[in-house]
Amino acid sequence: MSTESEEMQQRLKAAVHFTAGRLCQKVGEEHRRSFSRQVIAAIAETAFRQSDIFARDLEAFARHAKRSTVSPDDVKLLARRSTALSIYIQNKSEELNQEQKNLKKKNTGKRKSRDTEDESRE
Amino acid sequence: MAEREADIGFKKELVKKLLSSSFRDDDTKIGENAARLMAEMLKIFVQEAAERSQKQADSEGCDQVDIEHFEKILPQLLLDF
Repeated sequence: MSTESEEMQQRLKAAVHFTAGRLCQKVGEEHRRSFSRQVIAAIAETAFRQSDIFARDLEAFARHAKRSTVSPDDVKLLARRSTALSIYIQNKSEELNQEQKNLKKKNTGKRKSRDTEDESRE
Repeated sequence: MAEREADIGFKKELVKKLLSSSFRDDDTKIGENAARLMAEMLKIFVQEAAERSQKQADSEGCDQVDIEHFEKILPQLLLDF
């Protein structure tokens, strides 16, 4: 194993630890309870290893659909084990699609108005 | 930091790198929306771990959530994801 990729893994782990720590802190504040440093480290480590399992599942799903790019449909399939999670992810996916549709509309609208501006200037 | 609380979560770029480093095939890529959804998945995973550990600490009457509380909820957590 090259030290370079090991270093990369360490950096990714540190980034996961950082976000996990902030999320735990927020939950703790809501319930007026503190999280020990060890439990935050354990949760971060678990999330890091779980992401490895997620990644391998996603890759297999994409491959099964004869794709080389992981799509939102693969993520939906990943969330199949829990009904609530599955519904949540599906809603989130639709939300993202809707957002992007609106963004596109806005951009084309802007472009049009700019076009007409140019025309009127000419 | 006065950052909006609701915005705590995993960055899309981090999720991309994290997942890409675990792919067996170098040709496998991840789409933008898929990465955003995965960021959400990981956030839920951590939140769920924190909430359940907190509950466990509560039932034992502890003020601080410690590793023993997390250990107790870990098996079910892993079965749910």
